[in-house]
Amino acid sequence: MLGKAFIFLGLVTMSLAAEPLSFVRDVQPILTKAGCNAGACHAKAVTGQRGFRLSVLGFEPEEDYEAIVKQGKGRRVFPPAPEESLIVTKGAAIVPHTGGKQIEPGSESYQTLVRWIAEGMPYVQPNEPKLSAILVEPARVTMKAKTAQQLKVTARYSDGSSRDVTKLSLFEANDTAMASASGEGLVKTSDIPGTVAIMVRFGGSVSVCSVSVPLGAPVDVMPPEKNFIDHHVLANLKQIGIPPSPICDDSTFLRRVSLDIGGRLPTLEETKTFLADRSPDKRDKAVEALLSSPDYADYFANKWTALLKNQRSENADITANFAFHAWMRDNLLANTPYDQIVRQILASTGTIVSNPPVAWYKRVKEPTTQVEDVAQLFLGVRMQCAQCHHHPFERWTQAEYFQMAAFFSQIGRKPTAIAGEDLIFHKRGIAQTEHRKTRVMLKPAGLGEPPLDIAPDDDPRLVLADWMSRKTNPFFAKALVNRYWKHFFKRGLIEPEDDLRDTNPPTNPELLDALAKHFLDSNYDLKSLVRVITQSHTYQLSAMPNEHNAIDRQAFSHFYPKRMTAEVLLDSIDMVTASKTDFADLPPGTRAISLPDNSYTRASPFLKVFGRPDNTSVCECERVQSASLAQSLHLMNASDVKAKLTANNGRAEQLTKSELPEPKRIRELYLAAFSREPTADEVRIAETHLLKPRNDADGKALDSQRAKRNGYEDLLWALLNTKEFLFNH
Amino acid sequence: MFSRIYFLIFLLAASAIGQQVTLPLPRLLTIMPMGGQAGQNVEVTITGENIEDVTELTFSTPQITAKPVTGTTNKFTVSIAAGAPLGVHDARVLSRLGVSSVRAFSVSQLPEVVRTKANNTLETAMPITVGSICNATMTKRAVDYYSFQGVKDQTVAVDCAAVGIDSRLTPVLILADGKGADLKVNRTGGMIDFTPPADGTYIIKVNDLTYQGGERHFYRLALQKSPAQPQPQTQMVSAMSWPPADLPPTANVNETEPNNKDAQRITLPCDIAGSFFPAADVDTYEFTAKKGETWWVEVASERLGLNTDPFVLVQQVKDGKLTDVAELYDIAPPMKVTSNGYSYDGPPYDAGSPDVNGKFGVKEDGTYRLQVRDLFGGTRSDPHAIYRLIVRQATPDFSLAAWAVHMTLRNGDRASLSKPMSLRQGDARAFEVVVQRRDGFDGEINISMENLPKGVSAAGLRIGKGKTYGHLIVTADEKAPCGFSLAKIIGKAVIDGKELTRPVRLASMEWPVKDAKGDIPAPRLMADVPVSVTDSEQAPLSISAAEDKVYEAKAGETFKIPLKLTWRNEFNGTSIKVKAYGEGFSGIKEFDIPLKATTHEAVIDLAALKITPGDYTFAFQSLGICKYRYNPAAVPLAEAQQKEAETTLAAAAAEAKKVAATDAEAAKKAAEKQKQAEAAMTAATSKMKSVTTTANPTDTVEILISQPIRVSVKAAGATTASK
Repeated sequence: MLGKAFIFLGLVTMSLAAEPLSFVRDVQPILTKAGCNAGACHAKAVTGQRGFRLSVLGFEPEEDYEAIVKQGKGRRVFPPAPEESLIVTKGAAIVPHTGGKQIEPGSESYQTLVRWIAEGMPYVQPNEPKLSAILVEPARVTMKAKTAQQLKVTARYSDGSSRDVTKLSLFEANDTAMASASGEGLVKTSDIPGTVAIMVRFGGSVSVCSVSVPLGAPVDVMPPEKNFIDHHVLANLKQIGIPPSPICDDSTFLRRVSLDIGGRLPTLEETKTFLADRSPDKRDKAVEALLSSPDYADYFANKWTALLKNQRSENADITANFAFHAWMRDNLLANTPYDQIVRQILASTGTIVSNPPVAWYKRVKEPTTQVEDVAQLFLGVRMQCAQCHHHPFERWTQAEYFQMAAFFSQIGRKPTAIAGEDLIFHKRGIAQTEHRKTRVMLKPAGLGEPPLDIAPDDDPRLVLADWMSRKTNPFFAKALVNRYWKHFFKRGLIEPEDDLRDTNPPTNPELLDALAKHFLDSNYDLKSLVRVITQSHTYQLSAMPNEHNAIDRQAFSHFYPKRMTAEVLLDSIDMVTASKTDFADLPPGTRAISLPDNSYTRASPFLKVFGRPDNTSVCECERVQSASLAQSLHLMNASDVKAKLTANNGRAEQLTKSELPEPKRIRELYLAAFSREPTADEVRIAETHLLKPRNDADGKALDSQRAKRNGYEDLLWALLNTKEFLFNH
Repeated sequence: MFSRIYFLIFLLAASAIGQQVTLPLPRLLTIMPMGGQAGQNVEVTITGENIEDVTELTFSTPQITAKPVTGTTNKFTVSIAAGAPLGVHDARVLSRLGVSSVRAFSVSQLPEVVRTKANNTLETAMPITVGSICNATMTKRAVDYYSFQGVKDQTVAVDCAAVGIDSRLTPVLILADGKGADLKVNRTGGMIDFTPPADGTYIIKVNDLTYQGGERHFYRLALQKSPAQPQPQTQMVSAMSWPPADLPPTANVNETEPNNKDAQRITLPCDIAGSFFPAADVDTYEFTAKKGETWWVEVASERLGLNTDPFVLVQQVKDGKLTDVAELYDIAPPMKVTSNGYSYDGPPYDAGSPDVNGKFGVKEDGTYRLQVRDLFGGTRSDPHAIYRLIVRQATPDFSLAAWAVHMTLRNGDRASLSKPMSLRQGDARAFEVVVQRRDGFDGEINISMENLPKGVSAAGLRIGKGKTYGHLIVTADEKAPCGFSLAKIIGKAVIDGKELTRPVRLASMEWPVKDAKGDIPAPRLMADVPVSVTDSEQAPLSISAAEDKVYEAKAGETFKIPLKLTWRNEFNGTSIKVKAYGEGFSGIKEFDIPLKATTHEAVIDLAALKITPGDYTFAFQSLGICKYRYNPAAVPLAEAQQKEAETTLAAAAAEAKKVAATDAEAAKKAAEKQKQAEAAMTAATSKMKSVTTTANPTDTVEILISQPIRVSVKAAGATTASK
């Protein structure tokens, strides 16, 4: 044993002659690379693992040094026999280690670790330069599908020196379906074209390599450019060689835009009028009509109030929830500029009934949640991590987190006669919040901005709203346009839509900038944004892919079909079956998109199965849009859907009693469900089905009326279960 | 702390075992329509609880009178004199148990209509004309539709009175086009000003914020030419302290913008009218003041009926710097208001206000600034959010309000019931009287009542020096004749050698609140003080001192008072636990009086109470559960009616049988008569059943109050005459 140690030390001494090691520069990156300080391992909050706790991703080297060298009575390191140190034997799984083998014995990392212990475990070397940045090469690269590219990461230090840290860096693709990155920095593309970012991390610094994977197909035919959106989308398509699909037909457009703006199918009358209209600007007019309808306000209020956590936990919440939902809806109806809406929420004061956005402060009570929700929802910045440690993928420090929190430090609350409901006012005083770790009082500051001196009389939340809505704010407008882009195109220019950061670049940066500029130039006009999006030819492209573009997932070469959301689907079924769903406390005829809070989700198996959110999260991802077996079964068999098919005076009965000839009745049905005329084949098949004699449960023949009604019920059932119905395409 | 009735363990499950909370009192719940045009007659229909044998419908102004509609028990023809004051008045009825709680009745200048049939769809929208008021009741889970003819560019004002006229409705007003598509919305009780873009039909939709409905959700929809004032409303309890006596109706200075940063020059004293407009408005005033001065600052805004929270900051301006002198926030409630938690820990009335009434002292000659802000105004831009700012030298004064003592039940009931001053014979009822003191006045206030019905007396239990509340005991003699009067409650105090008399505003709950968790108690000030005594029932228990005299006691000694008790109902348990109200005596040690004891000697340790020599009035108070029968006298009457109906029916049946075979025409008539008799019989049976049920003994929790007891405490060593 002793002999081995001598031999080992001998080796160490040999290489030591080259350069003495330091914890910060040499050891910490090894621990990070090995995953020792990952959140799930020794960086687990409070406890770490078995008393050994490291800071997340090594952002606090002093604490980590303390933990390794001094804590646990120094048992984690054993300088007389460095390779016997617990940190070495555990990491290399020489002794049992729950975390498994993270460092290969004998590897370069292993040797460095051992040598560092042998050298007396210096924290830093005298005059050790500090890491100033990391450089990824190449920073931008165009790669063909299914090819590989090695990245090189160079660390730059304060003394101007640099070194290759590729092996010690961490690599992560933001879309793993498009590309993967190995631990050694080898990037491999799949067959999906587009742009993918590889995030690189080393020593608390982050950088990114943007990989463009063109399809390289010929792009000969392009739709004309209607507005700046088309300009940027088509330019991108041309560059990466993805030919766009043609513009969709009128039926598809009307159905698509009605679902996306109004959250509903077009009515039979609207469809007929639109299809018969020959004016060249009829699509623009349809957009305009939808934008000025209360349906637009209802639909988007539904979207926003879910994110603003309009949640019913007690019966008494009903007043607050109805008031807040209605307030949002009214402001959308009146097209209040977006920055004003946000301002009224952020800086709300008074009681809920007199000023409904106060309801947000009923739901979001803690300043930390207020910061996190505001940052994620309105700025597209996820600050959660920075409460406890430096954000691992971001530049946000803990100090910046508490500086943001300081905007919410002067919120005064007084109890009201309603349990759980406070009235909110601005409490005079200096706005400041204590840094959780340093215990220093911090003044408010916008993200990336210097701290502000806010007079004790001024409500800091108003200052926050001012900063957010300033035209130079790098987040506010972009976060909104990206969120709305996703609403219409299924995919954000940045994904997830509320995670804007340097290491997660947009797939079409020029388009994102142009959209944000349009939004700012229009003075935060939400309707104008929806108008410019839906009037663009990009939005109006067919969902049918051509021979090349089916594989495209992010360049918007064709429309990506979306399953209708739970509420829209339920309303659409109601509309097509001519039946009504009844909701508690609300007037008969109230549609699912107008439901004020989540209590209705609990009461409706349909809404639950189809993923209506419970309004507990600021993330749109709480709404489940994925398909499930339960959804298919519900549509096919559930009693509520069945009841709609067979409803008295419902569509089936109406069609049975109609005096129109059969093909015309079938046409009405198709127009209602798909907003299009049936094909000759569809009419023939439907007619044949309707003519079939039918028996009741006892095998007795049904009279012709009853049989026909059953036939229409079948037909309705079949149409509702098609993808053409269930999807917005 | 509070000399309040304490929660008793045996009341724990009051609602669970069907106990009734407080003896039934008459309550007027609805009047339809809820108002009328001055100079017109209007037929109204009333509903209420515990109001049998209604004889009169009276109002808080003599300019409105009412006569019963012959042949009905719940309809009146109301005559509104042409000169009747416009605004909201109180209406109440006189019934078997006396005067009822009040209900708002509005007098307007506009023609009024009543919605008579359902208007819950666009197709059934009720047409109304510009310049009218429609009285209606909201249907649950529905929207009421109205239509009107709009004229291009002629702005109309739409306003829905509800909360301010005692309704439970939180109105939502929507102005829509002829097809019902929404154009403008107001959900916060405000007015909609709408300028029609073209001539044509427009729609007004009204609904409750949470689509509640029913007879308690009434409203008055006013459609007028713009500009128009919002409809008048009743006053919140906080308004008890506004205005100060002798304040001119309008201020003599107006706020002048811009004054957010550049201060408006004023001189003190001042009386300024301003507004918190636009959003985040700051009104800054600058003045000079001299060392040693003390200035009192009062701001009224919330007390004017607005949703505001004024705040005043006074700063000294010196060498270009501002130094804080005073921050003036809310007017504190004189009694802790009950929290919305599980336990009842104060009255559900708030005589405090978010308004300001405070002072600042001047430490050196110089220039000073006073800022006024609305702490609720950060994002609200409403020119109607006005205030009045008064800066004055000390003018010591006081404002008073009173309300019936409520029971300390938990379980959310909290007994937030309207409690009219309708007394039973032998009754003694306690009221809390609170004071808002102005400008440093901290002297004693003596409370008394005037113009009481015969056999009714009142004793104000003094509000002590520096204290914020006291009690008022109203007692009816056990032989008091049936009576009604409009009384006055007054408070008197000596300030600077002069006696000041101030009225006490009476507050009451708008609705009996069964579950305060879901149904928030809504108290308000009443227009006047109606008092009645009924001979129809007697109080379950009367407690008084054995003799009607001033007892004498010696400070620092033990004092014994012989009590006389008259038990008229059965009580549960074995004894009642007794405490006291009244300055100096509220801290007495609780003692028991056995049930059915007709006499009892109360022993009070004056030393423990640290009573100083002087004249005192106090009353004992307790809580008990008695067996109470509601209107048993109705049972024999109903029985007689039932028998009569039975006889009539038998006769009609016999007659029908007799003529059936002989005369077809007569048989038809007889059959008709028989049918009527059957209906009468059903009604009589149903009435019999209901009066029998209510006349069954019900466990009823009631606050028990003694008649006031007067005692003169002499200094130790003085002669004591009576023991």
